[in-house]
Amino acid sequence: MTKSEIFSDGFWHNNAIFAQLLGMCPLLGVTTSAENGFWMGAATLLVLLGSNLVVSLVRGVIPKNVRIPAYITIIAAFVTVVGMAMNAWMHEMYMILGLFIPLIVVNCAILGRAEAFASKNSVVDSVVDALAVSAGFTFALVLLGGVRELFGQGELFGFSVFGENYPDMLMFILPPGAFIALGFILAGVNLINRQLKARADRRKAEAVVAEAVEVTS
Amino acid sequence: MDREQIRMVVALFVVAIVAVTLLALTDIVTREPIAEAQRQALHKALSQVLPGHSNDPQQDVLSVEKDGSVVKVYPAKDKLGELTGLAWEVVAPDGYAGSIRILTGFRPDGRIHAIRVTDHKETPGLGDWIVKDSDWLANFTGRNLDDTDWRVKKNGGDFDQFTGATITPRAVVKAVKRSVEFFNDQHQVILQRLAEQNALPATGTDKVSHGVTK
Repeated sequence: MTKSEIFSDGFWHNNAIFAQLLGMCPLLGVTTSAENGFWMGAATLLVLLGSNLVVSLVRGVIPKNVRIPAYITIIAAFVTVVGMAMNAWMHEMYMILGLFIPLIVVNCAILGRAEAFASKNSVVDSVVDALAVSAGFTFALVLLGGVRELFGQGELFGFSVFGENYPDMLMFILPPGAFIALGFILAGVNLINRQLKARADRRKAEAVVAEAVEVTS
Repeated sequence: MDREQIRMVVALFVVAIVAVTLLALTDIVTREPIAEAQRQALHKALSQVLPGHSNDPQQDVLSVEKDGSVVKVYPAKDKLGELTGLAWEVVAPDGYAGSIRILTGFRPDGRIHAIRVTDHKETPGLGDWIVKDSDWLANFTGRNLDDTDWRVKKNGGDFDQFTGATITPRAVVKAVKRSVEFFNDQHQVILQRLAEQNALPATGTDKVSHGVTK
C-alpha cells in the first residue's frame, strides 16, 4: 500500500466510526459540543501515535501468545501519560472530559490498529496509519459534537449561531440525541460512499468502452 | 519451562518495566504543574465566592474539625487583616450521578455571598445547569437560615428546579443548607482560630503586614 492509500483508508474507507463503528463510548459520551469532541480526538491521536509507533517497533520481538497483554500495557501507559499531561497543562478540559480519558484504554479502535496494522507494518507506515485513523476519528467526533451543539444549544465551538432566541433542543445534548444524530450522519456517509462507487463504476465502464472502440477501429 | 515460555515472561517483564519507568518519569514532570493547576482552579473559584479581599485565602487556610471530619476553611481578609468573608467546600452526596462538590462563600454576618460548583458528574444538558445558570446561582446570595425555605419550589421551597432535573438542585440546596448550619455552629470557633492566627507573627512569607497592622 502506498502512503496515500494508507491515509485514505484510515481516514475514510475504513474510518473507525463511519465504517467500523468502533470507539462508540467516547464518541457518544463526550460529543455534547464540537470543542469537547476535538480535544477527545487530540488525546486519542497522541495515544494512537505512541502505541502504533511502539507496537511497530517491537513487532517480531513480542511472542504471539502474549501480544494482547503487551499491547494493552503499552496503550494503558500512553493513556496515563496523556491523562497526566492534560491534568497538568489543560486542567479545565481534563475536568470536562474526566472519566473518558482513562477509558481511551478500552477504545477498540486503538487496540484494533495495534493488532491489525502496526504489528504487521513498518514504523513509518504505522505512524501514517495512526495519523490517518485518529484524524478520521477526530473528524467524526467534531462532526457529531458540532451537530449536537448546533441543534442542542444553537452554538458552534461556543459561538452563538442561531441567536439568543433559539429554543434549545435538549434532546440533542442528551444521550438519545447522540444516537439519532449519529444515525443521520451514517446515512449521509453511506450516501456519499454510494455516489463515489457509482462514479468509479461509471469511469470503469467508460474505460472498457473506450478500449473496445480502440480495438474495433 | 521451555524456551518459548521464558521468552513470553521476559517480553512481558520488559514491557512492564518500560511502561512503569515512563509513568514514573511523567509523574515527576507533571506533579508540580498538576498541583499548581489545582491551586489555580481553587484560587479562581475562591475569588468568585468570597467578598473582596487582599490576602491569599489558600495560604491562610484553617482546618476545622467537625464530627470527625476536617473542613478546610478559607478566610478572606482586607488590607488591615479584618475578616471580609469565609469559604469552604461542602459535598452533596445525593446528586443524580455521584457527589457534587460546592464551594460556599459567606459574609462575616453568616449570609451567603456566592456559591460555585467545583466538581460534579451530572447529566450534561439537564443537571449541569448548576454550573452554568448564573441566575440560579445568584439566588443563593444573601440567604441564611431564618428567611429562607431550603427546598426546591416543587416541594414548596425558595429555589427553582430545572426542567427534567429536580434531584440535582435538591441535592445542592440541601448541601448548601448544611453549609450554612456549619457556619452557625462553628463561626465562634473559626473566629477564635483566626484571632490566634492574626496574633502570630506571619510565617516567613512576604505578606508580613497582615497580622501586625491591626
